[in-house]
Amino acid sequence: MVDAVTHDGPPAEVPLHGSSRSRLWFGLGLLAFLILLPLSRSLVGGTFNYVMQMATISLMWVTLATSWNLIGGYAGYISLGNNVFFGVGGYLAAALLVYQGWSPFLVAPVAGLVGMALGVVVGLITLRTRGPAFIIATIALLLMSTLVFNNWELVGGTNGLSLPLPAFSRDWVRVPFYVAMAVIAVGSVLLSWKVAHSKLGLGLRVLAQDETKAEVLGINTRRYKVIAYSLSAIFPAMAGSIWGYSLTYVRPSVFFTIAIAAQMVLMAIIGGRGTVAGPVLGAVLLVGVNELSVARFGSSELNIVVTGVILVVVLIFFPLGIVGSLRQHRRLPRFLDWD
Amino acid sequence: MIQTIVLGLVLGGVYALMASGLTLLFGVMRIVNLAHGAFMIIPAYIAYFLFTTWGVDPFVSLVVTMPTMFLVGAAVYRFLFPRLEGSDRYSEMTVLLTFGLALVIEGFLGYFFTGIFRSTTPSYATEAFLLGDIIVPRGQLYASLASLVLILMLWLFLRFTKMGYAIQALTQNRTAAQIVGVNVRRVSTVSFGIGIALAGAAGSLLSYLFTFYPGQHWQWIALLLSLIVLGGLGSLAGAVVGSLLLAVLSALVSSWLGATWSPLTFYLALFLILLVRPQGLFGTQEAV
Repeated sequence: MVDAVTHDGPPAEVPLHGSSRSRLWFGLGLLAFLILLPLSRSLVGGTFNYVMQMATISLMWVTLATSWNLIGGYAGYISLGNNVFFGVGGYLAAALLVYQGWSPFLVAPVAGLVGMALGVVVGLITLRTRGPAFIIATIALLLMSTLVFNNWELVGGTNGLSLPLPAFSRDWVRVPFYVAMAVIAVGSVLLSWKVAHSKLGLGLRVLAQDETKAEVLGINTRRYKVIAYSLSAIFPAMAGSIWGYSLTYVRPSVFFTIAIAAQMVLMAIIGGRGTVAGPVLGAVLLVGVNELSVARFGSSELNIVVTGVILVVVLIFFPLGIVGSLRQHRRLPRFLDWD
Repeated sequence: MIQTIVLGLVLGGVYALMASGLTLLFGVMRIVNLAHGAFMIIPAYIAYFLFTTWGVDPFVSLVVTMPTMFLVGAAVYRFLFPRLEGSDRYSEMTVLLTFGLALVIEGFLGYFFTGIFRSTTPSYATEAFLLGDIIVPRGQLYASLASLVLILMLWLFLRFTKMGYAIQALTQNRTAAQIVGVNVRRVSTVSFGIGIALAGAAGSLLSYLFTFYPGQHWQWIALLLSLIVLGGLGSLAGAVVGSLLLAVLSALVSSWLGATWSPLTFYLALFLILLVRPQGLFGTQEAV
């Protein structure tokens, strides 16, 4: 892996005003788009619920890929089990809804905190390893969770839990989920931006390049890694609560499959690991590709092939991803340079 | 108790065969092959169709599956892996690359053969004989013995042939091997081929020992990783000992807690070993 923060030649001392303005306008434009999208009802008519659903899915993946990037991108610790937090959030909200009647919209922030706490515990254990051993440990974590949730009777085993339908009017039923997911996605991107521009982010990038040297510099690498890992768990857990409710069921196969882990990693890598804009771009792009490939091949096994082929091709030819490669060739448009 | 241990041991031999290929790939090339399970499912289908179409015995199908998978492995290595060389996180990149490969294989198998659970049914698959008052399943015993023979042949090959020496040299020190004239690219291609050919043999045996389906390889790879992590990444002897140990342990767990929880033995073992002794039983510190 070539780290995306490595600048050849003079350090990119970005002149703050001219460029940050175009970035600011672009960001505000995106935000305005997200806010105005639910008003498109009169424009798109009958497909409104579909538009909302696709937007919700895109935002969910933006959240997952961006959060993965905190540990997998900035810190360089590739986790293939981070959807565990997504699933725990989903199950927590679902169980509280079924057994206590609490709305997942209110439980979501709590799920985020639970995810973070779990992230600290899991991080303290798995982050004792590094390199391939860490990847293997995270896969083991995922498979262990799958096994537990498949056999846990309280949450319905393999059948999962059915959730009561939310009492929204049929025309607007997708909008609350969309709004919640938009808030979560924006939160995750802001967190990613904040981390990238903090001492924490700087430390993570240093230890991604050479952990021993980072330690020599006095960086408490273990603490930095655990913090990054727990931060990467917050928003996926929240997204999970909302996603399960919008599906009206939770089931291990919705959350705890390795395919979801694969997608998170793939989106972040395609967009550009270790950059703020990369995972966002990768997520939106890949949701589009998936939608096309479902339309073309039906939801058959060939979708898995498409995912795999894209991963192999990107790794071999564009290991830096879109944002990373463009930056390397100094072709990255200012408005996408959020680092 | 003894009965359970015997049942564990006769599976352990087959696990050892599966793990030996994986540990060879890591030892020689520092490749963690997440597609190893998927590479085992392909020959399982070959054996299945040979059996159902022409009635070829799964043991005879080894003659087809091993060379086929050798060529597949060599080709995959030759086309994909050299491009990753030189990246400073080679090991991690290979994990992601083989992860992608596993998805491709799983998808194609699923597309062509659907998710139906299959297995071949030679007569000995369900037979057993009594040794004193202990039941020994015939099919599993045969498979374990065949596996141990193959592993022995691999060991002899590594120990007594020129190519075997070259492979061992790569395991010890890649740069030094290159300096003394080992053709690294060629030897790597051959070892990758051998590793995948061993997966091919395992697939033939798997076809009658277990029911299989395309998505099953994730369970296999998790199991195999725990075996080689316990034995020490890259160590052949470690892979064999680790396989036998964990096979017995999981048989015991499954007799105490029920078959559902026996996979948990492997995942927990994997976790514990990575934490307590990441280099495994027979591994060296630098391999981790």
